[in-house]
Amino acid sequence: MGNHGWLTRELKARGVSRREFVKFCASMAAILALPPPVAAKLADTIEKAEKPTLVWLEFQDCAGNTESFLRASRPTVAEIILEKISLNYHETVMAAAGHQAEDALYKTVKDHAGKYIAAVEGSIPTGADGAYCTVGGKSALQIAREVCGNAAATIAIGTCAAFGGIPAASPNPTGAVAVGDAVPGLKNLINVSACPANAENITALLVYYMTMKQWPPLDQYRRPLFAYGKLIHDNCERRAHFDAGQYVEAWGDEEHRHGYCLYKMGCKGPVTFQNCPVVRWNEGTNWPIGCGHPCVGCAEPNFWDKMTPFYRHLENIPGFAVGTNVDKVGLGLTAAVGAAFAAHGAIEIAKRKLGSGSGQSEGKKGE
Amino acid sequence: MSAALARPIPESRRIRVRVWELPVRIAHWCIVFSILVLAATGFYIGHPFISVSGMARDHFVMGTIKVIHFYAAIVFTLAVLSRLVWMFMGNRYARWNQFIPTSRRRLHNMYESLRFYLFIRRDPPPVIGHNALAGAAYSVIYGICLVMIGTGLAMYAPQAPVGSPMRWFAFLIPFFGGLPTARLIHHIGMWLLLAFMVHHVYSSILVSAVEHNATIESIVSGNKFVTPETLAEESEESDA
Amino acid sequence: MPHVVVDPVTRIEGHLRIEAEVDGGAVRNAWSSSTMFRGIEIILKGRDPRDAWVFTQRICGVCTTVHAIASIRAVEHAIGANPPPNARILRNLIIGAQCVHDHVIHFYHLQALDWVDIVSALSADPAKAAALAQSISDWPISGRAYFTDVRKRLKDFVAGGRLGPFANAYWGHPAYKLPPEANLMAVAHYLQALDFQRQFIRIHAILGGKNPHLQSFLVGGMATPVDPDSQNSLNLGTIAELNKLVASARDFVTRVYLPDILAVASFYKDWASVGAGVGNYLSYGEYPEDDNPNPRMYLPGGFILNRDITKVQAVEPDKISEYVKHSWYDYKGGDDKSLQPFKGETIPNYTGPKPPYERLNVDQKYSWLKSPRYNDNPMEVGPLARMLVAYAHGRPARAKELIDSTLKTLGVGPQALFSTLGRIAARAIETQVIVEKMQDWVDALAENMARRDYRICDNSKWDPSTWPAECWGAGFHEAPRGSLGHWVHIKDGAIANYQCVVPSTWNAGPRDAAGKRGPYEEALIGNPVAKPDQPLEILRTVHSFDPCMACGVHVLDNERREIVRVRAV
Repeated sequence: MGNHGWLTRELKARGVSRREFVKFCASMAAILALPPPVAAKLADTIEKAEKPTLVWLEFQDCAGNTESFLRASRPTVAEIILEKISLNYHETVMAAAGHQAEDALYKTVKDHAGKYIAAVEGSIPTGADGAYCTVGGKSALQIAREVCGNAAATIAIGTCAAFGGIPAASPNPTGAVAVGDAVPGLKNLINVSACPANAENITALLVYYMTMKQWPPLDQYRRPLFAYGKLIHDNCERRAHFDAGQYVEAWGDEEHRHGYCLYKMGCKGPVTFQNCPVVRWNEGTNWPIGCGHPCVGCAEPNFWDKMTPFYRHLENIPGFAVGTNVDKVGLGLTAAVGAAFAAHGAIEIAKRKLGSGSGQSEGKKGE
Repeated sequence: MSAALARPIPESRRIRVRVWELPVRIAHWCIVFSILVLAATGFYIGHPFISVSGMARDHFVMGTIKVIHFYAAIVFTLAVLSRLVWMFMGNRYARWNQFIPTSRRRLHNMYESLRFYLFIRRDPPPVIGHNALAGAAYSVIYGICLVMIGTGLAMYAPQAPVGSPMRWFAFLIPFFGGLPTARLIHHIGMWLLLAFMVHHVYSSILVSAVEHNATIESIVSGNKFVTPETLAEESEESDA
Repeated sequence: MPHVVVDPVTRIEGHLRIEAEVDGGAVRNAWSSSTMFRGIEIILKGRDPRDAWVFTQRICGVCTTVHAIASIRAVEHAIGANPPPNARILRNLIIGAQCVHDHVIHFYHLQALDWVDIVSALSADPAKAAALAQSISDWPISGRAYFTDVRKRLKDFVAGGRLGPFANAYWGHPAYKLPPEANLMAVAHYLQALDFQRQFIRIHAILGGKNPHLQSFLVGGMATPVDPDSQNSLNLGTIAELNKLVASARDFVTRVYLPDILAVASFYKDWASVGAGVGNYLSYGEYPEDDNPNPRMYLPGGFILNRDITKVQAVEPDKISEYVKHSWYDYKGGDDKSLQPFKGETIPNYTGPKPPYERLNVDQKYSWLKSPRYNDNPMEVGPLARMLVAYAHGRPARAKELIDSTLKTLGVGPQALFSTLGRIAARAIETQVIVEKMQDWVDALAENMARRDYRICDNSKWDPSTWPAECWGAGFHEAPRGSLGHWVHIKDGAIANYQCVVPSTWNAGPRDAAGKRGPYEEALIGNPVAKPDQPLEILRTVHSFDPCMACGVHVLDNERREIVRVRAV
């Protein structure tokens, strides 16, 4: 035990046995889809890791991701992981306020330049010279440039920070943009989308970094593959009912009560990449589809426009009234084309019948 | 000239021309049947109107229909791609320039065809293959077919097995604005193709009936009947 | 006169800035400004009203249920949907759980550090702390060994030199009055409450799929199926789990939260005469007990003027209106008149200083919040308003009983309720009332199951073709932070207009056209400030309202106007 670092001491001080800690690491390894032998290594690695510094910025947000973070499960030990990250700035939880709070932020930016991790919650407004969101008199954009620009990595937590989210939904009244778009060229930008981001995925990302000494492989929207590499649909516990052809038709009907597929109620699981069905929420208690409501696709870019209306299969067509059904329009179009040609044919036949008497002149006209 | 076509071509002046080669005809019918199967199965996938009761393990309705959709999609994709390749290998009626009007003559033909469809002129301008207007419309249709293939691949890629090369097509997802938009485009594309089919069948019957040149039969037999003048004119064009 | 600016105000939801003039150790004038705006009502226009709750819910992730509840009520009111009893019970459980969870977090994690000096806890004697804890409650986790351990953890943490979120605070400030042992006990309960909140909120995951941002609401009912014979529905196994969670919450509130409030308050009795505020209180009433269009509410509605709790009057929603005289919006008819929610208009027009700025021009417009008024009176909303209205009504009896016993324990009269301390105590009392009531709702759900009542949603109004071509609806809700109203205008199945009047707008709004201060501003007048560079006392009073700024900032818009559009990928 002699060479065990600060973590073992801290764990012991907090009444957590090494066995519990290794167990925790095993479950983290499971979330990260690492093979079991890695878990043991993980326990060692975390102990030897440097205490990373984190600052958490809030812009056009609802604090939902902060609340989510507070729900991180694997209770005691996850808390230690949080403590082991020196959280130098987080408006919702920090004791200091006003300029003392700002001092804590800018001291970190100065003292740990290029080494700290910046977490961002909320989108960044570009309208009205940034007056749509200011902290300490500075605009969100000014803060993001300074804080994220000097960070070793920026984690955009939640769909607002990752993709613009609800403030950027049409017609985007404040000119809100994602962090990555507000400050282009950020080093190690990672998007942990969803509304809010699942605490399990935030924790897993930090553990991944501390274990592997590098950031995880990302998908095309810069989301970690370990959490966003697969469709909800392909992990869904109701998938058997989808494939069988068994669907909920009305809220509270027998199919709904027996957990049939919510596809016809507008479920966006087939077009959403997230690990909800696997890690679930709130200590693995449940997830939206598990409680009978369709997925709304909250981890996807522009989901407020692309996934709405939420209770329909297809998104709204821009410029059309809400709920315009493309398949009804399509059927109508096909029928209209058929009718038009039937009419065309009728006219053609009629003309030909009339024209048989004066065929010559018609023919000349044709020249 | 065209006045002469106002009546059926007399047997004595009738020349049989091999217009549609076998690959063209095969591709055509593969596309027709795969579109019908794709539209029917696709409509079910979008709106599962059959619901089954009992244990989920006893049924595979959606699963089966999706499999049929995927196989039909393979046929469709290969047929469309083959036909595109044949545009550079086939006879003059199958060539790419039948679809994209490049010569003045084709442009003029396009104008005249439009006049025919609008009842301004009584008889269709003489052509052997596609008239120029139809050809231009078909190039749009090929575009829609490619979009259907692209959106289909984008939606298929995430559910392709791990290690499958099909997963590579995931790069198409952002290209089409995300999966939900890909899905929307896929639906719209289906209706455009169906609407086109209605139009296509009608105009073939119309032209066939007006010209008495076996247009309808040609897509089975490959042959059309033309007058010597039309044939001569077409040859001039290709010589020029 | 020293001008104190607190920005960011931390340990709240959202972005709040307080400017105050301090003279002679007390606040002489104060301005409350919200510094963030998103425009969610603009975004809602033209969308499916059944989707609206998902959008409005994102107004706030802390009070993550409240805008969903108000939204579905507004749309149901408009289209005439009647949620079945199961939906009412499930919603009551969700609202109740939100109230209990939110109040506990607010006290321990957002507010306690204004009253509790963590550094002082380092010098506490664990034996004395144990004796103190055991003297105020029979909560079993209170032994000497436990407090020794907590102190050690704290010492190790401080010795590590990385104070993280506890750095730069006002430790050692003269306004901290608790003895070291009470501080140690509070720190221990800060940690316990962190565990408690995480475990208790599983009730939301059971009933809503996840928290934050539950996802089981529907216009017309709830999406959570009820069937005792299915493993995919709420069944008796769920009832057993709900029973357990509710019992654990009741245990924690009864044996930790409420005793802590009483213990801490006894050291800060001088705060019973500080931070009174406007003295007008408003509550819409909450927790419907039947399914009539105007149900009887477990917590009754009403309003009180000028601290006169002998006169409680019924609320008339028509008398609610909003001013924008000091808000960054324009009214077409001029800024001196107020507008009712249904007739409201808002044209954002930022006229403040260009960021970065040092000072706001508080004579002009200075906030993204509007100033709601009831019959032209500024009103305070929240737990204190609800408890005062309940006290005035004399029901629920449990609320009156708890208020009386609390006043008796502290040895103060009812006037003490109109204060910073009164606000904090009312929040704890309400938590106790609701956590006790929650058991009744769990039982009612079980009874409905036994009756085989599986209805969860009024499906007859689900299809938009069943709705009137044009309709209006208002939805009212008592959120943890106070009275919340949503107003919706639906035309041809789409949202034509949407507006929210939100608790934090009531409380944190700026001055109105007549120059009348909002509740925060008024409550700060006379607030002591021992050290202007460490305005701890300002935080105490502001935090006692439990600010939630993301909720407060909203706008509706009748105008198509030029806006900057930037596409986010």
